[in-house]
Amino acid sequence: MKLEDIARELGLTELTPKVTGNSEADIERGYASDLLSDVLAHAPAGGVLVTLQVHLNVIAVASHAELAAVIFAGDRRPDDEVCGKANAEGVSLFVSPADTFDVVGRLYALGVKGNHA
Amino acid sequence: MEHLTYDIRSGDFGGAGAASRDLKQHLKRIGAESDAVRRAMITAYEAEMNVVIHTEGGRLEATVSDGQLDVDVVDRGPGIPDVPQAMREGFSTASSEARALGFGAGMGLPNIERNSDRLRVTSAVGDGTRVSFSIILRPEAADQGARPSSLGIAAELCRDCRHCLAACPTAAVRVREAQPSVLYHLCVDCTCCIAACDPGALTLLDAPDGLVPGADGVLAVPPALLAGFGDHAVDTVLEELRGLGFAEVVSVHPYEDELRRGVLDLAATSALPTPVISSVCPAVVSLIELKFPSLVPHLAPLASPWEALQRDLGERDVTYVVSCPSQRTALLAQQPTAQRRTVTPRLVREAVLPRLAARRRAAAGTPAPQPQAAGADDLLVVTGVSHVLAVLEQIEDGRLTGVASVEPFICDGGCFGSPLLGEDAYVAAWRWAAAAGAASGEGRSYERARPYRPRPGIRLDPDMAVAIRKLAELDAETKALPGRDCGVCGAPTCAALAEDIVMGRAVRALCPYVTPEEGSAS
Repeated sequence: MKLEDIARELGLTELTPKVTGNSEADIERGYASDLLSDVLAHAPAGGVLVTLQVHLNVIAVASHAELAAVIFAGDRRPDDEVCGKANAEGVSLFVSPADTFDVVGRLYALGVKGNHA
Repeated sequence: MEHLTYDIRSGDFGGAGAASRDLKQHLKRIGAESDAVRRAMITAYEAEMNVVIHTEGGRLEATVSDGQLDVDVVDRGPGIPDVPQAMREGFSTASSEARALGFGAGMGLPNIERNSDRLRVTSAVGDGTRVSFSIILRPEAADQGARPSSLGIAAELCRDCRHCLAACPTAAVRVREAQPSVLYHLCVDCTCCIAACDPGALTLLDAPDGLVPGADGVLAVPPALLAGFGDHAVDTVLEELRGLGFAEVVSVHPYEDELRRGVLDLAATSALPTPVISSVCPAVVSLIELKFPSLVPHLAPLASPWEALQRDLGERDVTYVVSCPSQRTALLAQQPTAQRRTVTPRLVREAVLPRLAARRRAAAGTPAPQPQAAGADDLLVVTGVSHVLAVLEQIEDGRLTGVASVEPFICDGGCFGSPLLGEDAYVAAWRWAAAAGAASGEGRSYERARPYRPRPGIRLDPDMAVAIRKLAELDAETKALPGRDCGVCGAPTCAALAEDIVMGRAVRALCPYVTPEEGSAS
């Protein structure tokens, strides 16, 4: 499913409108974790990450793991520096008011699966 | 060789990732495989974070050479009292600050271990820790198993019939999402997949500029090309080739004859184990190096006919018409510039046919008796991949006795039978024999420039311990697959798919006979 369609279906707020090229990306896989080493080790390249962590290292990890997008759950918002970094790295950032469990559940219902499905 | 150094500051959570990001750019620039880049990133980032979280600061040094990345991360303390404990997943001494940021879950070193090909951790309490690891950046190119290949792929022509899968003698072809691809470390540059590919998606690479005579106007051809224009006499074909701007046309056949003499000579006089196997077909030579390494000593240490011809032509600007990928690869290995002027028979046929059609058709020549090759009784000629495989196996098992020498051709009917030529092998050979002497010339045989070298085929991992673990995985994967060798997954056999899965080239779910639950278990 396209990232822009996911954003619409889930009612996400986009924080990085300057990052283009990802909105058309087909998102097939996702990962949810707040442990960044865990994200680094297991998040699928080209996928989406759902996390509560909103600091700068998330962007480094997302970039290293070649993720297309990060969704911050629980209405947690990163600061401008983090958004600027994400713009520079080409990682799309979104915020959802829903908690991690609900965000993942809705992604799954839209066909975004984990590593082993 | 490239050498990069980065300083890492203690507690610098914001700046962390700079070294690994820069390293990533370098690796991408040198063309490392994307999976290797990813693994390099993960390991370098974890190592960097370790220095930020746990130490007084340190330095990351990275060296890239020979297709391998070596990273050395040294910090200024405090050191790890119990290294095996630190290597265990879940063990961590990180600060609450680090933990709040999602680090310090005790996954760092285990993550590095999982994603590197070699890891060494040494530490002295009070002094510091050194974490060294290596990553193979191009496993296939780093190994000598990979060869340049002259097999061309026109993926847009593929109609997904998958006949090529079963045709390949080394299980080197995959077809996934109607895209053929070749595992070049297994490819022997033969014509089997080309012969099986009706739409022409698998073919021989052509010269970029087409058929353009060089300054010296020399054209080197296989005899089958000269005899491959129906009942047009070889003389007529030669004349038309000259009309295209090739003042001199040389045929490779005298070199084939010379090589045969050389092989028979070796069989009679040398200490080589018998039967001596002729090096006439570079694809068979490749096949022996890959699949029958024990037969390498049987190979006559002589250049193939094309290689010998090329040596005699020296520095002249020659256009080569080759009938298979292995001949092209052999020519390019000796002289890389030959790439500009190595063309397929199709190009020549397309240029010559209209000229021949414009002429009055020549009367068919009278077949002349085929000259008896010297000592033909001592020579066993084998053509066609299945026969070649069967005979090589007999030699390997010591069951082929009383044969002094073997002349194997991978194409059915020898070089006359290449699928890249327009005429049937038997018809062209008959016409060639009938026109005996029409294209004369002197041949010669030479010693080989490159020594024969056994070539490892399946390489699970450069590290023996990992390879052994993967071998067990391979066994388990093979057992989980149905053994039907149906080819639906895009691999020729279940064993080939199992290898693809273990090597990360495919997933088990590609198999239509594995239930979804089983497919997701891997």
